[in-house]
Amino acid sequence: MSSETETTEDGIVREIGHDEFDPVGTLALILIYFVIIGGLWAFMYFVEFLGNGPTVV
Amino acid sequence: MEVFANEYPDEAWVVRAALGSAFVALAIGGLMGLIQTLHRTGFYDSLISNADYYTVLTLHGVAMVLLFTIFFLVGFFQWAITDSLGRKSEDIRITKLWYGMMVLGSAMSAVTILGGFVDSGSLSGVEADVLYTFYAPLEAHPLYYMGLAVFIIGTWIAGFDWFRSWWAWKKENPDERMPLRTFMVLTTMLMWYLASLGVAISVVFFLIPWSLGIFDSVNSLLTRTLFWFFGHPVVYFWLMPVYMMWYVIMPKLAGGRLFSDPLARIVFVLFLVLSVPTGIHHQYVDPGIAEGFKFLAMTNTMFLLLPSLLTAFTVVASIEHGARQRGGEGYFGWLTALPWGKPAFTGMTLAGLMFAAAGFSGMINAGMSINYLVHNTLWVVGHFHMTVGTAVALSIMAATYWFLPKITGREIFSRRLGLAQVLLWFIGMVLMGNAMHRAGLAGVPRRTADPTYDQVIYDGAYGAIGELRFQIALGGVLLSLSLVLFFAHLVLSSFDIGERAAATPDSIPAPLSGPEQAPKVLDNIRLWTSIAVVLILITYILPLASIVTDGGGWLGDSYGVIVAEYVLPAVSSTIDIFVGVVA
Amino acid sequence: MEIHRYEKLWFGLSLLLIVGFIGTITYGAVGAGVQMVSDDGGTVEPSFSTINENEKFAQQEDNQAVHVEGNEYEVAVIAQRFSFQPGTGSPIQVPEDSRVTFYVTSPDVIHGFSVVGTNANTMVIPGQIAEITVEFDELDSDEPKEYGVVCHEFCGAGHEEMAGQIQVVPEDQWEGDA
Repeated sequence: MSSETETTEDGIVREIGHDEFDPVGTLALILIYFVIIGGLWAFMYFVEFLGNGPTVV
Repeated sequence: MEVFANEYPDEAWVVRAALGSAFVALAIGGLMGLIQTLHRTGFYDSLISNADYYTVLTLHGVAMVLLFTIFFLVGFFQWAITDSLGRKSEDIRITKLWYGMMVLGSAMSAVTILGGFVDSGSLSGVEADVLYTFYAPLEAHPLYYMGLAVFIIGTWIAGFDWFRSWWAWKKENPDERMPLRTFMVLTTMLMWYLASLGVAISVVFFLIPWSLGIFDSVNSLLTRTLFWFFGHPVVYFWLMPVYMMWYVIMPKLAGGRLFSDPLARIVFVLFLVLSVPTGIHHQYVDPGIAEGFKFLAMTNTMFLLLPSLLTAFTVVASIEHGARQRGGEGYFGWLTALPWGKPAFTGMTLAGLMFAAAGFSGMINAGMSINYLVHNTLWVVGHFHMTVGTAVALSIMAATYWFLPKITGREIFSRRLGLAQVLLWFIGMVLMGNAMHRAGLAGVPRRTADPTYDQVIYDGAYGAIGELRFQIALGGVLLSLSLVLFFAHLVLSSFDIGERAAATPDSIPAPLSGPEQAPKVLDNIRLWTSIAVVLILITYILPLASIVTDGGGWLGDSYGVIVAEYVLPAVSSTIDIFVGVVA
Repeated sequence: MEIHRYEKLWFGLSLLLIVGFIGTITYGAVGAGVQMVSDDGGTVEPSFSTINENEKFAQQEDNQAVHVEGNEYEVAVIAQRFSFQPGTGSPIQVPEDSRVTFYVTSPDVIHGFSVVGTNANTMVIPGQIAEITVEFDELDSDEPKEYGVVCHEFCGAGHEEMAGQIQVVPEDQWEGDA
């Protein structure tokens, strides 16, 4: 590694306090996750599982 | 401020010893894993016989999920307690005692497992080909169960040791909030006491006397249920130290601060309350347990998703905070401002990413009836290789790159080597984990030396079985290579010849929303433990009672009566006493 | 305590997810009629002599499903190291368009009974009788249809050999009591 990365170990260019921080990126990522999970769940239950007959009744 | 290794040399010795034990187990378990992956997929099955495959499988399971994970946990927790309370162990002899007991117990069990490879001589008859779940009436040598008991008692003493530190600290600092890391350690240990009671009762009251010939038989469903009483919460025992890393170390590495201390506490409280009354979800397709009890266990399990989903948000938000402090912008652009050059950060992030995927297959496993589709197939094996095998194992290896300098006083050898190692593990597990899930959906069973049968044709809906086997074998080889790099790195780091010599001390930054924001009631661990006990009683008393009374007939009536009249009341009063003593 | 509004939103969505999962499974039980293996099968002392005296196992004379009434049939299977009886020696035969209840138990250690490529899947625990009912549809052709059955729980050295078959037989080829 270069010495440059040594001197700016954390690379922090600004301090952001609690009230100035809205985690919009996190919200965006987690909403995508939510949609994927919901869709996969429906696929797994209704297509993979219920379509895998015979099933115990 | 001094590096931990210099400030607390005795404690650092125990931490290093525990990590050393963990990595020995990882090396043994990894070698067994390589043998298995090549044997079972048919790529190289002449090294061992099918019979020895199960010895290899037992060793792989025990070494990886009991020894590697738990030895790392005790080392990491010892650091967390000492560092966050800022005080030495109350009595270092006790600290060394529990470590010694855990080593002794491991050695006892390991000897019996290794005996499985020997067919003649003084070790013949000493074996434990029972896998890490040891379902009776598969029988191991008594020493196998005894070693397990000694190991678990060692962990109990460790917990007591940490509680002592906390009690002493509280006496000196009566008005201060419990430090976050201490809070995480103590709630995790309380969960562990409750959980390990199940396996301790199974081993001490049933399996040891039975393997010694004192009883002729055991109630197979009872010991199996007691195992899973312990067997599910044990996964949170693997996971909690990793959550601690994600909450405490990752924000720091990202250049940010923990988003919310109170929320982290809530998450650990939820794990304490909900971890144990879920074990029956491993028994969804067991006969002898009524559907209502299974549904109750499912409800608890589904609510246990909550702390993990909350963790996903809090940890990602903390990282995002770091990225924005480092100049990151936009909805997704901030991702490029993260310190991807640090193997500790990249490894833990990849581990977390895989946990998000594995969380989904876990949700499927938790869905009661859908278990018919996946129960005991390779799907389940894929699931836990992505959870304990990556979320936990990769986080541990990655965190080691950050952690090692603190406890040895020497920097790691090379960031690039570390990066290559964590990437290789991730790629290997993407291949293996994905292929295992898909093979499981085609009906390929787990726990077998050879999944091909004359009578069975697998309908590989998503890719031919041959292609999946190739991916599993290739993934296994990449994972083994990653392990080789990891161990090479550990050896090279011990010579202090790395990119930077000697570790520089650093501290954990304060959270954005601090503990002063957290309601006091969160630290009332006596209350949370009581609620956990009540939930456990509600979930387990009736199924256990019906298993014992229904199964009593074939154990011999007198024995069933002994259990119903003496053992069960003893268990419930032990729990009562335990609640009284805590905190 | 201060919780960010995004985090509150995510908390709500998480609860929605959890309730949705539980709701789906409840629908599966009530709407789609999926039953879990339970304690309905009862218990039996795990030895050959007592298992063979059990009503369900005593009536199982060969590899053919025993007719109960209408399209309902019963099959009693002993899972033992390292075979299913019936199932391993010759396939378990059931007629098409039938509703078959399997009773499975073990005289030795824990086994599994999994019909590969279907949702018929249960643990087999000594002392317990697993009871599962499955429906086999009408066949598409005049040919019998085979399903593989595997033991999916480690039961000792030789476990990898433990497998069998179920054969769904067309109505006009069914030789059992109809």
